[in-house]
Amino acid sequence: MSQTKHSMGPMAPSPHLRVSGIHKSFGGVHALKGVDFEVARGEVMALVGDNGAGKSTLMKVLAGAHIADEGEFFIDEKSVSVNSPHDASDLGIQIVYQDLALCENLDVAANLCLGAEPIKPGFTFLPRLLRPLDDLAMEVRAQEAIDRLQVKTLKSVRAKVGGLSGGQRQAIAIARAVGADGTVVMLDEPTAALGVAQTRQVLDVVKRLRDTDHAVVYISHNMRDIFEVADRICVLRHGANVATWTKDDVTPDEIVGAMTRGLDSEATNAA
Amino acid sequence: MQPKNKVSLIARLRSMRETRFGAFVPVLLALAAIWIYFGLAVPIWDYWGDPDAETLRFIFLSPRNIYNLFMQSAVIATLAVGITVVLLLGEIDLSAAATAGVCAALLGVLVLMDVPAPIACIIVMVLGIVIGAAQGILVAYVGIPSFVVTLAGLLGFQGVMQKILPTGNLNVGDPFVRGFARVLLPDAMGWALGILCVLFFAWTILSKQTQRKARGLELDNKVAVWGQIAFFGALVLATVATLNSYRSVPLLIVLLIAITAVVGWITTSTPYGRAIFSVGGNPESARRVGIDVKRIRVSAFAIVGLMAAIGGIFGASRFGSVSYTAFAGGSLLLESIGAAVIGGTSLFGGRGSVWNAILGALVIGSLGNGLDLSGAGAADKLMFSGAILLLAVAIDAISRSGTSER
Ligand SMILES: Nc1ncnc2c1ncn2[C@@H]1O[C@H](COP(=O)(O)OP(=O)(O)OP(=O)(O)O)[C@@H](O)[C@H]1O
Ligand SMILES: [Mg+2]
Repeated sequence: MSQTKHSMGPMAPSPHLRVSGIHKSFGGVHALKGVDFEVARGEVMALVGDNGAGKSTLMKVLAGAHIADEGEFFIDEKSVSVNSPHDASDLGIQIVYQDLALCENLDVAANLCLGAEPIKPGFTFLPRLLRPLDDLAMEVRAQEAIDRLQVKTLKSVRAKVGGLSGGQRQAIAIARAVGADGTVVMLDEPTAALGVAQTRQVLDVVKRLRDTDHAVVYISHNMRDIFEVADRICVLRHGANVATWTKDDVTPDEIVGAMTRGLDSEATNAA
Repeated sequence: MQPKNKVSLIARLRSMRETRFGAFVPVLLALAAIWIYFGLAVPIWDYWGDPDAETLRFIFLSPRNIYNLFMQSAVIATLAVGITVVLLLGEIDLSAAATAGVCAALLGVLVLMDVPAPIACIIVMVLGIVIGAAQGILVAYVGIPSFVVTLAGLLGFQGVMQKILPTGNLNVGDPFVRGFARVLLPDAMGWALGILCVLFFAWTILSKQTQRKARGLELDNKVAVWGQIAFFGALVLATVATLNSYRSVPLLIVLLIAITAVVGWITTSTPYGRAIFSVGGNPESARRVGIDVKRIRVSAFAIVGLMAAIGGIFGASRFGSVSYTAFAGGSLLLESIGAAVIGGTSLFGGRGSVWNAILGALVIGSLGNGLDLSGAGAADKLMFSGAILLLAVAIDAISRSGTSER
């Protein structure tokens, strides 16, 4: 099992978010075994690996949904700690979960603002949790986020998520992450339930995020999409790094090989 | 023709339940059916069947009976409002009635020991919060299912109540405590309060509509808006008129409505309420957006505890005594859970409203009252209550299937 430490080469941009030595176990399952990962502003970092490689787990650790057993976090090379989803969102880290994590019993607007609801000004004598919601501001915010994604099939932001299609839900989860003002946006298989046209839109959103100087992490099993949007590609295998390539230095076949077999002797042209 | 019709009816029911006020419709229909049955059908039937009857006597729908009905349902409603909050989380509280019993018993004992009644009430409410929060901690932090924790609470607090009241009964004569059920608002004040409520309701709805227009959001249907206002106004003013024509609006009812309004506002219009709904709908996504799921659970149980204590105070006030059978040992628990569920609150969490719990309590109360009036025994009452509960849950299940796989 060859587990080469990845080499970024001289071209690698300076990272915005960087983690190193991340370990995470679930009972007996050692899902992450000292993973290093980084992403710079204005780039799309693709994260690939076989099923169960630990991609989603790594993303959840970065988003504060799981707490790493070990490991260090840096934002702009300054050490930070992420022990809760709040820590992550305060650092500007936004995520689209693979399972979307929407509440079916709430409407679209409520889902888009969940955990960060706008409240009416005043009422400072009340604790924040008990101040009146500004539900109209919520709808406006939701409508803007939806419009930006151009989800044309969604009729109303007051529709319950439980009654929406898989693709519409995925669009809402994406809108939630993109609509919040973060600097890092991580998308975990965001196009899994989408049609061709919607997939195209998501890829456009990803490019737009890169052009607006966001740091984007993009997880997918679709090599075509990855080679279209990614600047660099990071391969995970069995919870450990295989390597990170600049897109132009690698072919889809090499990536698939690295995902399934790890690095062997023929992969010498890894930059 | 027939099946097509049926489908569209169910579909309409479903889409109706999605709206905030449409959720009232099934429980209101149930209430109307019960009132028509006991209020009109039974008297007319009796009149026809009995040649000696002089006149039609509408006992059930008489202002006096409706007044009693409201008072009888008040304790159930108080508990049901609290229980609704935990049901929204997808949890259950089987100990609410026993908690109410313990609190009422303690209140009786404290008042007997010459503790000033207002202070005794506060002590009892704090006790309710502590009991609720303690059970919540066992559920949220230790991870015991709420069914088990509160079942243990039910048994344990029944015992505690018997310890506090060895004879099983204690009279409460304190004027402050009795006052909740005895004080009546002057007629004019009842009207004023009712009209103010309606105006406030109309103002909130209409101002929201103007703001929607100003911000370019989709507008509510005009007919629906005015329909809601007219309906709400008719409901409130008819209630005030009926209560006034017997005695007048009792303080107990005003307090109940006020408390429900506060709890209702918290659950629908604050980030805390949103958190309750999201935990009930999908705890994992609530956790991932940074909601402290455990704290929310504990606080919800504290709210039931508080509502149970208030229910205990109301009960002591209304009966003028605290007895084991009226609270812990009787049917209060099942009636209040039944009221919440009949109101359309889902047992699976994430869907429901405290206002519906009040209507549900009225359904349960009307059923008991009507059966009492028509001379039915306790056995009939139980069977009818069971049937109504089942019917309510069936309506809920039918109107829900299709929007969610659960
Ligand atoms: N909550 C959990 N409890 C226990 N084990 C878990 C949990 N989450 C993930 N794992 C384990 O961690 C490993 C990595 O899972 P992860 O979801 O990160 O894979 P992935 O790379 O995202 O795969 P996929 O491409 O299928 O989404 C798997 O072996 C999985 O069984
Ligand atoms: Mg995954």
